[in-house]
Amino acid sequence: MRKKTFAAAALLAAATLTLSACGSGNDDDNAPIAVVSGGTESNRPATVLDQPFDKPAVVLTDTHGEKYDLRKETTGHPTLVYFGYTHCPDICPATMSNIAVAKKSLPKAEQDALKVVFVTTDPDRDTPAELGKWLKGIDPAFIGLTGDFAKVQAAARSLGIAVEPTKKDKNGKLVSMHGTQVVAFSPKTDAGYVLYGENASADDYTRDLPKLVKGANP
Amino acid sequence: MRRRAALTAGALAAALALTGCSESAADSGSKTAQLSVSSPYMPQPVSADMAAGFLTITNKGGAGDELTSVSSDVAGQVTMHSTTGGAMAEESSFRIPAHGRLEFRSGGNHLMFEQLKRAPKQGQTVSVKLTFAKSGPLTVAMPVKPATYDPSTGH
Repeated sequence: MRKKTFAAAALLAAATLTLSACGSGNDDDNAPIAVVSGGTESNRPATVLDQPFDKPAVVLTDTHGEKYDLRKETTGHPTLVYFGYTHCPDICPATMSNIAVAKKSLPKAEQDALKVVFVTTDPDRDTPAELGKWLKGIDPAFIGLTGDFAKVQAAARSLGIAVEPTKKDKNGKLVSMHGTQVVAFSPKTDAGYVLYGENASADDYTRDLPKLVKGANP
Repeated sequence: MRRRAALTAGALAAALALTGCSESAADSGSKTAQLSVSSPYMPQPVSADMAAGFLTITNKGGAGDELTSVSSDVAGQVTMHSTTGGAMAEESSFRIPAHGRLEFRSGGNHLMFEQLKRAPKQGQTVSVKLTFAKSGPLTVAMPVKPATYDPSTGH
């Protein structure tokens, strides 16, 4: 009896594998694979780095038009850095909104300690005022930085994030590019030690932020 | 008896899996596309400048089709985009394979609503019309969800 049940289960598993193997290509990372392997760890959106990143030594302009020295202003603070742009319909607002929601579940003192820094990859359109207006719709305490694109690009590159300048597409529309990761810097070491992919949800950040604000591994 | 039922279920699942493979089983369906739309949603946008929209188009038919344009009551213009490594590119059409599906989902392909007539708010519904190369148009009621909505958990 038990043996037969097992055989049926194996057959079902095989069927699941077959299904996941013959998708049309754009759904390879769907659930069945995770079900078969039986683990969720590999799906965790957080990656703790063996070799943490130094915080970029960059001075940009904040949403008030003031100079903002990233290292100086965020030393000793848990800091999340993301590179994006406001004319971005999907990932940029989703990422910032997810962090904003997660932040609300922290105790007040930790909310105040946390620095969330949005660095624009589209400085021509994202002036301090534009950036300020956009971030206000998400979390007024978030820091928006703009400035020379070359500086932004170099800062991103130092974190392993590749961004290209805004360009015109074939229809003459401006197209910008966002980073695909959020980098979390420890308040203890000021090093960027955890990366979040763009699939990180508000729940993921809500679960991990209490650890990140202490510099602990999520 | 219960044992047999379990085995039958297993075999059935395997058979289903086989027919799920499009090319080899193309004769199992009709020779036209049979399109349906599922899981549409719009994350509440930050401002009235632009919004994104997501949905899945499933084709149960034996012929492919193409999504050629999208329009909406809330936007002056809706464009279709693919995303690769943080860079989005506007596309003039998207293919929907026979026995396959076309997914617009966060981080991948998305619909971009521009020239918004109003900023859609959570709880509202926007109307979206999808036009195809061969099939007749489909109109979808797209609910506006929180900015942090995750379709995999439903909240």
